[in-house]
Amino acid sequence: MRIKKRATTVALLTAATVALAGCASGSTTQNGGDAAACVPSDGKVDLTFTTWIPGIEEVVKIWNEDNPDVQVKVQTGPNGNGGTYQNFFNQLKAGNAPDLGQIEYDALPNFRVQDGLTNLASCDGILDAQDDFVDWTWGQVNFGEEDAVYAVPQDAGPMAMFYRADLFAANNIEIPTTWEEFAVAAEAVRATGGYITNFSQSDINQFAGFVWQAGGTWFENDGDNWTIDLTSPESIKVADYWQDLIDRDLVSTNPPWTDEWNNAYNTGSNWTWNSAAWGANSIASGAPDTAGNWSVALSPQWADGDNAAGNWGGSSTAVFKGSEHPFEAAQFALWLNTSDEALTMLNESANLYPAAKSGLELSALKDGVEFYGGQAIYDVFAEASAQVSPDFIWGPTMTQVYNDTSDGFKGAVTGNGTLADALTSAQQSTIDALQAQSIPVNK
Amino acid sequence: MSAPTVPIADAPGTAARKRPSAAKPSGAKSRVQHKGAILAFVLPFGALFALFYLVPIGYAIYQSLLVIEREGTFGQATQVFGGLTQYILVFQNGPFWQSIGRVLAFGLVQVPIMLGLALLFALLLDSPLVRGKKFFRLAFFVPYAVPGVIAAIMWGYLYSPNLSPFSAVTENINFLSADLVLWAIANVVTWVFVGYNMLIIYSALLAIPAELYEAARLDGAGQLRIAWSVKIPLIMPAIVLTAIFSIIGTLQLLAEPQVFRSFSSAVTSTFTPNLTVYSTSSIPNFNLAAAFSVVLALATFILSFTFLKFTQRKEGK
Repeated sequence: MRIKKRATTVALLTAATVALAGCASGSTTQNGGDAAACVPSDGKVDLTFTTWIPGIEEVVKIWNEDNPDVQVKVQTGPNGNGGTYQNFFNQLKAGNAPDLGQIEYDALPNFRVQDGLTNLASCDGILDAQDDFVDWTWGQVNFGEEDAVYAVPQDAGPMAMFYRADLFAANNIEIPTTWEEFAVAAEAVRATGGYITNFSQSDINQFAGFVWQAGGTWFENDGDNWTIDLTSPESIKVADYWQDLIDRDLVSTNPPWTDEWNNAYNTGSNWTWNSAAWGANSIASGAPDTAGNWSVALSPQWADGDNAAGNWGGSSTAVFKGSEHPFEAAQFALWLNTSDEALTMLNESANLYPAAKSGLELSALKDGVEFYGGQAIYDVFAEASAQVSPDFIWGPTMTQVYNDTSDGFKGAVTGNGTLADALTSAQQSTIDALQAQSIPVNK
Repeated sequence: MSAPTVPIADAPGTAARKRPSAAKPSGAKSRVQHKGAILAFVLPFGALFALFYLVPIGYAIYQSLLVIEREGTFGQATQVFGGLTQYILVFQNGPFWQSIGRVLAFGLVQVPIMLGLALLFALLLDSPLVRGKKFFRLAFFVPYAVPGVIAAIMWGYLYSPNLSPFSAVTENINFLSADLVLWAIANVVTWVFVGYNMLIIYSALLAIPAELYEAARLDGAGQLRIAWSVKIPLIMPAIVLTAIFSIIGTLQLLAEPQVFRSFSSAVTSTFTPNLTVYSTSSIPNFNLAAAFSVVLALATFILSFTFLKFTQRKEGK
């Protein structure tokens, strides 16, 4: 009996050790960087694809009908920072990530640092596709390196200003073209009882878009070290500008993406939203009662006569490490993001603004949009897209940067510190976070 | 209530007296023979316990002892043994300890209120004076059947300044502000768990033999006196049990604050210890997140154990 008992204990311990060993080896055996072996697989291939684009199922259906040998199965989830990235990281750690995943540009460095991306450079047609895409989006997926393509650009988020044309006209307020005029208009709007806009304390990528427009950047990577610059003069300028509007109660501070926030737009108490092309969809679904009253203009500028635009969001389609069919996955990603039929459907279902140059010529992007009073809003975004600086670089721990900055911004809108303080403290915590993972960083 | 007292009092006594003698004749040998059966019965539990409890704990401890090394900005990461490096980071992490302080303050206020209400409701259900017991028992328990996340979303709407059906109140008192949001969450947790704790206490009350009440009443005790001097002392073990569950639950708060993060500007990504663990693992820094978890588990263990020791010593006196 005692022997039996011991045997059981040993068996359990062995099982435990094997389980541990299995987990441990998974994280160290993969090779990074090398782009070898991107060849077609034999026979029928099943791919899995995780994304959060509304209506993606219909688009994939077309591919599946045309490609009986490469069937793609779609899984949808919450948006990236809302949980899907965390799932990806966990799946990568466990070795069962999907073949393809939607990843926003700002998160690509994070996935690369965690060794989650397959370099597609040797896959058929990928390197040649460079010329098909808007320049800065390609820079986001190759990290400025030769012979490297870590994802296929999908859409871009050039920023412009959505505004309630009817309210501005009815109250005789000029549409602001500079941030200075925006602040003056904010006073006039506040006098009518509304708010010119909402400062979205937890949309740090929107704030990053403002910094991007102001000519700042948050990260630099010289190959040996990261440099973190959340407190560059441009960042502080933007932070101080919004802090002033918050202090004077000229902007509301509803937590973004809540019903409270939608309600403020739907009832007309918020008048503008500085957002990306895909935001057209968010307004239409969040503020349905205001249909026909919105227009889009280029973003206010820091100096009269400037023409700079920021970018907020935009995604790519990446092939995860561990996918057994990188060739087919790459072909699907190319089709999804360059073919007219896919891009048209993505624009119709999700207002995605294509990263592919050919996509910008789609007839769907030339037409007037009913919700925006028939304005051809994508003409504005096309103009903004050309004004987006290619030099903005994302860091390797953006989830943490967003969390820490948003913790500080949340404090600032509740009267606890300032936006600039929040950037200063996030600067330090980001350095700490990189060091904790042995990512070389300049202090 | 009116059952004759004598035979009932006798029955358990005789049974208890018989039990040891019944076991005697079989002796040591038969117990060895049963071991195979015992093992067969225990094995399913043991295997699952090991697989879903011991192994994950072991894996978390193992992960917490590793650090990452890499060369270059996008270098290949390798995990190497790092001793207690992650634990040093845990003890240097200000927000984590602030979050522990926050949930302790939460627990000191919320747990006594919740258990006080649970005890009160249980005593009312048990008292002969209340009518409609079945209805109230169910009514109090229903919130526990609502999933925690749903409860948090529902209360989030009730609190929200412009959308609440009670906007006359919420426009003037912002329950989602930095000063109040912790107590707004406490209210949600109390709402969900009062019924659950009430049921545990109530079932302990049902186990009290009726003749004790009979005796108390013969001695001239009223219902209040019976509740205070007979019922509460006898159900103390159940109350201690619910208290320990509540202490553990408090330290592990996650769903409610996670939901409130989107409603309120005052709930940060490190509001409670488990949120800190969650945020850290989403960086992703699994090693540090594992170290946080181990420290949190130890803290929970120490706190529960101290509480148990403290209450037992008190009972001993």
